[in-house]
Amino acid sequence: MLQAEHVTKQFGDFYALHDVSIDVSKGRIFGLLGPNGAGKSTLIRIINQILQSDEGKVIFDGHEIRLSDVEHIGYLPEERGLYKKMKVGEQALYLAQLKGLSRTEAEKRLRWWFKHLEIDTWWNRKVEELSKGMQQKVQFVTTVLHNPKLLIFDEPFSGFDPVNATLLKKEILRLRDEGATVIFSTHNMSSVEEICDDIALINHSQVVLNGNVKEIRQSYRKNMFHLEIRCTDSRTITMPTEFVVTNGKEEKGVYTADVSLPPTASSNDLLSAVMSQGQVSALQEILPSMNDIFIEAVSRQ
Amino acid sequence: MKKILLIISREYLSRVKKKSFWILTIVVPLLLAGLYAIPIYLAVRPQEKTTVLVVDDTKLFDGAFKSSKEIVYQYAGSLDYAQRRMTEEDSVSAVLYIPARETTIPGDAFLYYQGSSPSASLQSDVSEQLQSHIRTIILQDVHGITQEEFDQVNATRIKLHTKDMETGKEAFTEVKSAIGLVLGLVIFMVVLTFGSQVMSGVSEEKTSRIVEVIVSSVKPFQLMMGKVIGIGFVGLTQFALWIMLSMVGFVGIQATNPELFEAAKARQNMTEVATKGTDAVEQMQALNDAPVVTELVQGLTAIDFPLIITMFLIYFVLGYFFYATLFAGVGALVDVDTNAQQFSLPVTIPLMLVMVLMPAIINEPSGSLATWLSVIPFTSPVAMMIRIPFGVPIWEAAVSVGVLLLFVPLNTWVAGRIYKRGILLYGKKITYKDIFSWFKKK
Repeated sequence: MLQAEHVTKQFGDFYALHDVSIDVSKGRIFGLLGPNGAGKSTLIRIINQILQSDEGKVIFDGHEIRLSDVEHIGYLPEERGLYKKMKVGEQALYLAQLKGLSRTEAEKRLRWWFKHLEIDTWWNRKVEELSKGMQQKVQFVTTVLHNPKLLIFDEPFSGFDPVNATLLKKEILRLRDEGATVIFSTHNMSSVEEICDDIALINHSQVVLNGNVKEIRQSYRKNMFHLEIRCTDSRTITMPTEFVVTNGKEEKGVYTADVSLPPTASSNDLLSAVMSQGQVSALQEILPSMNDIFIEAVSRQ
Repeated sequence: MKKILLIISREYLSRVKKKSFWILTIVVPLLLAGLYAIPIYLAVRPQEKTTVLVVDDTKLFDGAFKSSKEIVYQYAGSLDYAQRRMTEEDSVSAVLYIPARETTIPGDAFLYYQGSSPSASLQSDVSEQLQSHIRTIILQDVHGITQEEFDQVNATRIKLHTKDMETGKEAFTEVKSAIGLVLGLVIFMVVLTFGSQVMSGVSEEKTSRIVEVIVSSVKPFQLMMGKVIGIGFVGLTQFALWIMLSMVGFVGIQATNPELFEAAKARQNMTEVATKGTDAVEQMQALNDAPVVTELVQGLTAIDFPLIITMFLIYFVLGYFFYATLFAGVGALVDVDTNAQQFSLPVTIPLMLVMVLMPAIINEPSGSLATWLSVIPFTSPVAMMIRIPFGVPIWEAAVSVGVLLLFVPLNTWVAGRIYKRGILLYGKKITYKDIFSWFKKK
């Protein structure tokens, strides 16, 4: 759907992006991760053709991106805003027409969306009369109204209250299921695990990690397991010395612990080592969180 | 192209639909008219009758004081009696006392009042009548000139006609100065108000962050030009409405006070006759005493309004584009916490400068200062409009317009560059050094 190939962007002597390549597949949610100032927003602005890259190119739907493609992109910038003195409906119509919709078509779709999100009564109100959360709902509608093939959300959950954030998440997943491709930039890692299919991690203007979220987490597995075992006295539980136990504790006859195994051992080895010492009620692999991976990848660089 | 039209129409409609636009369009001219009308009204309004009692101990001023509509002179026998009447009668506002002296010609006179002091016009009327009568006495008694001879001398006037050698038309310098002043002021206000509307429009879009959504649909340059053009149309609309209003006003004055225009016409005809023969001199004399208003009307009819309006439109459009693009660039540099003045000052200073130099331009509209100011594009729209009523050589106007025409695209380019970078720079203090670095070649 969208590829960035060797994109470089310089501001003066400062490299905002240095030889960055990403590949966003159709119908998936792609997370663009990285600390603040890593270059995420610059890359997004280049995809939106707000900025021109110094080197490299962006391929959209099989061709090098061109100006008319903006009509197939919906963009919710990190810094959100609307004309404060303009009426909600009028403003949404204006923004939709700038995206190439006809006035009648835009109005038809807007009525649907306003009904869908139960905000129809806002049509004739001025934006400045709405609360911040309400404004964000309106802005979300204007972002997706023209049925873009590619949706770009820059830090979508920052500033959204929990109710709206959940709603937004639900709508993003629904749009994805209807065939839209989503690029999603964030430094909030927990949201990544929940909704992203693929990610690219950008740090200091370079891609340091990219791929499928599940695969990445697998590749960063530490051979670490969470164990729960029912026993009379946890002090009697013994394990081979190469198994490193952390967070071991007993509560109401249930012993829980995180166990790190050496690369040669497997979960079965752990199971057979403890099986005879009590009733194993749970054994689950602990995959590193995206947050851990993020920190590791960044510090490894 | 369709999108830039959308932007233009939003910028235009969102302003024209505002109540403040209509209030400004209708109230400002009325206010200005009122500002000029008030002193005129005060000058011509009927005043209350007031009485001055004259106590003349010299006996030289018998029947000398002529009463007018406002001031009635009455003679009283003694100062005591006059002062008593002043305390008793409200209509008596002052007592003029001319004491006798050893010499025949008195040197002092006293105007007594009670409570509030008499008005300046009353004082000057009394003083003038005293003065003129004492002169008459001296001329008649000492130099032996008769009353008729004296009146004749007094009535003689000579009017200076400043005329163009080729066309024979009168110069009407005062009227032209007034029109030049008004035109210069209007261009200055138009450029400054609509220019700063562009600036605040741009910075509003930047600070509200809507700009990033819009530039993901259209090019920043299109957004900037859409705004500049849209607001330019607002200015033209306002200008057109003002022209219409003043035409309605002009026709209205003509319909209600036809005598003003007839007098002006009559005088013009008379002037033409007078240049051929001297028979009309006496009639001319009478017409020369016509009020100043007649002269103003006559001056106005002698001005080439189509030329002025054409030039005004040219300088309005070019001057507006010259400054509005710069203001758009400045607006893009303003963020929530930055001081707009830091960047807008360099743009407004030339405009302020030409305002300060306005009297000098009017004083010498073809001088080297005026000529230079009307060529330099930063000052030419205002300076040239001041000069236009006085007549400007065609080539000078052409050079002035040409230089502006050259600078408009240059300014647009510079502003577009600043705009493109500025609008997306949030939360960072922008310095002049940054701006210069945007123009450096990589």
